[in-house]
Amino acid sequence: MIKLKINGREISAEPGTTVLEAAQDHGISIPNLCAAKGLTSYGGCRLCLVEIKGKRGYVPACCTAVEENLEVTTETPQLRELRRLTLELLLSEHPHACLICTEKKNCEEYKSTIRKVGEVTGCILCPENGQCRLQEVADELKVERVRFPASYRNFEVHREDPFFDRNYNLCILCARCVRVCAEVRGASAVTVVFRGPQAVVGTALDRPLLESGCQFCGACVDVCPTGSLTERALKGEGLPDETRRTICPLCSVGCTLEVGLRKGRVISSHPKDGGPVNNGQACVKGRFVLRDVVHTPKRVLRPMLRRHGELAEVSWEEALDIIAQKLTAKRDRGHAFVVSSQLSLEDQYIARKFARNVLNTEPVLDSPSPSAPSAYRTVLQEHGIFPQLNFEVASLSEAGVILAAGTDLALSHPILWVNVLKAVQKGARLIVWNPGESSLNRWATYSLRTKPGSEPAVLGYLSRWLLERRPKDQWASIPGYEELKASLENQSTTGAIFSAGLTEEEVQSIGRLLDEARPGVFLCGPELFGRPDAAGFSRMFWNLAQLVEARVIPLAAENNERGVVELCPPGAANGLSLDQVVQGAEKGRFDSLYLAGTFPPLGESHPGFVIVQDCYRGANNRVADVVLPAATWAETEGTFVNVEGRIQKYKRLLDPLGESKPDWWIFCRLADKMGSRDFVYQNSSEIAEEMSKMLPALHEASSHHLKKGRPSFVQENMKSASRFIPLGFAGGTAGIASDSPASEDWVDIPDTYRGLNLCEEVKGLRRLRDKTKTRRRKQEG
Amino acid sequence: MDDLLREFSREQKDLTQILHKVQAEYGYIPAQAIRRVAEHLNTTENEVYGVLTFYKAYRLQPRGKHLVTVCQGTSCHIRGGAGVFDEMKKELGVEPGETTPDRMFSLETVNCLGCCAIGPTVVVNGTYYSHVSVEDVHSIIAEYRKRK
Repeated sequence: MIKLKINGREISAEPGTTVLEAAQDHGISIPNLCAAKGLTSYGGCRLCLVEIKGKRGYVPACCTAVEENLEVTTETPQLRELRRLTLELLLSEHPHACLICTEKKNCEEYKSTIRKVGEVTGCILCPENGQCRLQEVADELKVERVRFPASYRNFEVHREDPFFDRNYNLCILCARCVRVCAEVRGASAVTVVFRGPQAVVGTALDRPLLESGCQFCGACVDVCPTGSLTERALKGEGLPDETRRTICPLCSVGCTLEVGLRKGRVISSHPKDGGPVNNGQACVKGRFVLRDVVHTPKRVLRPMLRRHGELAEVSWEEALDIIAQKLTAKRDRGHAFVVSSQLSLEDQYIARKFARNVLNTEPVLDSPSPSAPSAYRTVLQEHGIFPQLNFEVASLSEAGVILAAGTDLALSHPILWVNVLKAVQKGARLIVWNPGESSLNRWATYSLRTKPGSEPAVLGYLSRWLLERRPKDQWASIPGYEELKASLENQSTTGAIFSAGLTEEEVQSIGRLLDEARPGVFLCGPELFGRPDAAGFSRMFWNLAQLVEARVIPLAAENNERGVVELCPPGAANGLSLDQVVQGAEKGRFDSLYLAGTFPPLGESHPGFVIVQDCYRGANNRVADVVLPAATWAETEGTFVNVEGRIQKYKRLLDPLGESKPDWWIFCRLADKMGSRDFVYQNSSEIAEEMSKMLPALHEASSHHLKKGRPSFVQENMKSASRFIPLGFAGGTAGIASDSPASEDWVDIPDTYRGLNLCEEVKGLRRLRDKTKTRRRKQEG
Repeated sequence: MDDLLREFSREQKDLTQILHKVQAEYGYIPAQAIRRVAEHLNTTENEVYGVLTFYKAYRLQPRGKHLVTVCQGTSCHIRGGAGVFDEMKKELGVEPGETTPDRMFSLETVNCLGCCAIGPTVVVNGTYYSHVSVEDVHSIIAEYRKRK
């Protein structure tokens, strides 16, 4: 710790912190605009100037590291005057009429001086009004006049991109957006172009952001201290009435977001610093799409019943009575029950209990591709190995080498990418391995593009090369060594490497890198585990990880995917597959279809009674006999388990829209009407209580949640010892599968929430995804 | 372009040197080159563009056949250089740094040519014109238009 004096106060600070940070940590405020947490010092706004004894002139506190026995003064009349002057200079290029207006107070109350103009000429018309950092600083420094002639830069406002506008007439060139984009997100989609008075933030050749590699994560909008970057949908919305925290349900990362509510509507969602997983970062979906997931006009808001061929709104009682009657009456061919994989743990638990106890059928999940963590675990458990699946996102930044296989991390798990980027910036090596182009390639030490289906051959070759690299006695003690060695010798030939499109030197240098840079992390995307040879991958990755002491992390794709894996352990239940249900439904093998999840559109001639329980109007409403409106995650409370294995409780954001009800409530009422007495729950905490008998960590999580203590994770079997798995069965051969996925479509980001296709719903997201696809095709073409 | 890039390392410190070389080769920096340079240095086109717009030495448009430089120095100014400059802009129909649509003339300014005694000075392709008046502008340009 370093000891220094600020304004005569003795304080101590960590080495490497800046004077500004040290002061802020001790409650001493120094005005500043360009400094932001997590970004490199810039020294652009010159507002944090301080005096330091023994140093000539004034120094910017944000660019000065703390030193032993520094004596810093942050407030003197000269400093105050200097700062005010600097701010006036900044304001001379920023519409400031409102900031220094004598009618300011009146105007806030009575809007006495409001004028209608097309462009922002003062705060009153600025969408950032009331939450603007520049306004705050102007207040802090008590600027009453601007002594310099106003100069309006007269830039055209960029309105061509999705989600946010860029009005550089309001920009003060603090370069926060440029730094966050380059340093935190690794996108460098904007930069400062031109020089001196012409300098402005922009893109190459002034292209739209869509063409410049922007992922629309919104980090720049969040750090902008002015109204230059503003979310278009928030214009005219005003400030939120209140903000509440939630967990984003749109991917497996589970970001903590702060949702702004106004008049019972979600108007905005922002990441906040210190969030346990995402720590102030989000992605396009969490930042700009969340609102539409709740308030889309596609929501089903009332129970509906088919009468004379038309769906008509009915009361809950009536709808449930009809269902109970039909389900109890017909029992000869049995029922099919499909449940969404994106429900909370509580809803999922009740849905399963309902299907098994009341309908006497095995529930079927609606996700088409197998879950990566589940597939990986299942294969290894056959060999008596319990792989560790839990990890912490933040720990990725400590890795020495990262292999990202079968996933375009920056698109599929943007928050994981933020942490991988941190590791790369600290010197870690990144190996990207995909059948197609990936946006991470420019950060990668090696980017492998192999023909789909040839991955096991490459993994086999790598393992064999690593085995031979070290003296035998190092491995011999690990069980399974001899068998592995023998099985590799038969299969991992040089020829296989060539047919994969690689050279021996390339694969060997990758092997060397994996062996020498530690700790290693293998992030394996869901693409790999959806293949027919997924079992082969799992064994190969496990062996390779044992050889270089790395960790394999199979990445879940959907929000509660890991939770579902924990709730129904692989191998525990073997009902029909989704495909079998689809075929069965067409052939009329079921008396009734209970669709509480996404299901392919049924033909007109389907036989049987169809119940659709969903948040949104889907294709199957056409043939449904009853439609039940379910509440989204925002209108209920529950638990998700994210990709890390972290147990995430979330609270209700708003009352259920219309007459929609939480899924657990619907199942419980229905079970009650069908004569079951095991479904008496008042709220979802009671369900969690019962469920915690199966998942003990849940119980812990709820008490931890109250105490705000250590984060809780799902429990794992920690006994797994190091051992190899011989290959020698399917998956080991190097043949290139003919039914392998077409390379252009290899990345499939699940942009859906409970059957709502987010790309169809949100035009901006659709434009972004289309752009990514065409760019990839161009690069490959 | 491939041959040109092969001479350089893939480190970003080489960026300005690469851009100089590109400009020497093409006379300006074409948009295609920005992409290639960005790929070579593992950076984005935006970063390359930021650097190349920072320096006045790089051009994004090809230069015209004839380069017209008008002195904006103090001595030329007090002898009526500003009027000459305005007339030249009118004559060519472009702003400094731009090229006429027919690719015949590029207009540039300079802050002093070191020959203040003969000002206002205009230089066309290295030929110095001294004591230029507003009336002279038309005839100077006409001379080069004739030559093609």
